[in-house]
Amino acid sequence: MSALAAPIRLSVPGTLRYRAIAVRLVAEAARLVSGSVRQDPKDTLANDVRDPFDTAVVSAFAEIYNNVAIHAYQRRDGGVIEVAITPADRELIIELTDHGAPFDIDGVAPLPSELDEESLPEGGMGIHIAKTMLDEMTYEPGPPNLWRLRKVLPAIEAVSNGRS
Amino acid sequence: MANPYDVKRTDTETSLAVRGSLDINTAPQLAEEIDKIIAFKPKKVTVDLGGLDLIDSSGVAALVKLYKGVRSGGGTVAMTGARDQPLAIFKLLRMDKVFNL
Repeated sequence: MSALAAPIRLSVPGTLRYRAIAVRLVAEAARLVSGSVRQDPKDTLANDVRDPFDTAVVSAFAEIYNNVAIHAYQRRDGGVIEVAITPADRELIIELTDHGAPFDIDGVAPLPSELDEESLPEGGMGIHIAKTMLDEMTYEPGPPNLWRLRKVLPAIEAVSNGRS
Repeated sequence: MANPYDVKRTDTETSLAVRGSLDINTAPQLAEEIDKIIAFKPKKVTVDLGGLDLIDSSGVAALVKLYKGVRSGGGTVAMTGARDQPLAIFKLLRMDKVFNL
């Protein structure tokens, strides 16, 4: 794979109905970088996300997709989410573009510093998950609104998957 | 869409097995069942996460709701079997220690 392959592009209606399609494509793109293999190669419909790189990419993307469908498009039909995935040798860059309402990312409250039974959060975790899972996450409010997600393959994982 | 869970009840204990993907599309189904479980005020709830492949923040929220609801009713919740992506999410959120995963 060249260092800067052409982006893989997907355009889906901006609702949660199409979420699984986008997540599946992103999972397969993550495999291109991580070199992970399916537990059962014949079962291509299984939610087979075990590799740490794949886990980070899929988890982060799913949260941002949710965010766009819920906040930008407010669970309504009519919007479009454009996804551009750029796999490189040791990193994956994903851009999500929407034409919905801008999201107030600065208004996202941090998780409690000390977590116990009382402080267990029942919401507001999505952005935290995405940001923590990635090496870089930026958001440019628009419209169009642009999310840019970047995950780098750790050196030790690249070696173990034969990509040194 | 198939239910992402199975529930078994006795007089004192409820067993919940969650499977597949527990996410923003499937968590609402589970949340309805969780309301029923909490209303039943079980003394003990066991949650088997061994069949769970993927989870997102909505799925986590549903399990937190179950945990808090059962505990506030005087019961205990034991979660077992979390692996791969779901376990990574619980660890990231530092809930693995609260849930004793």
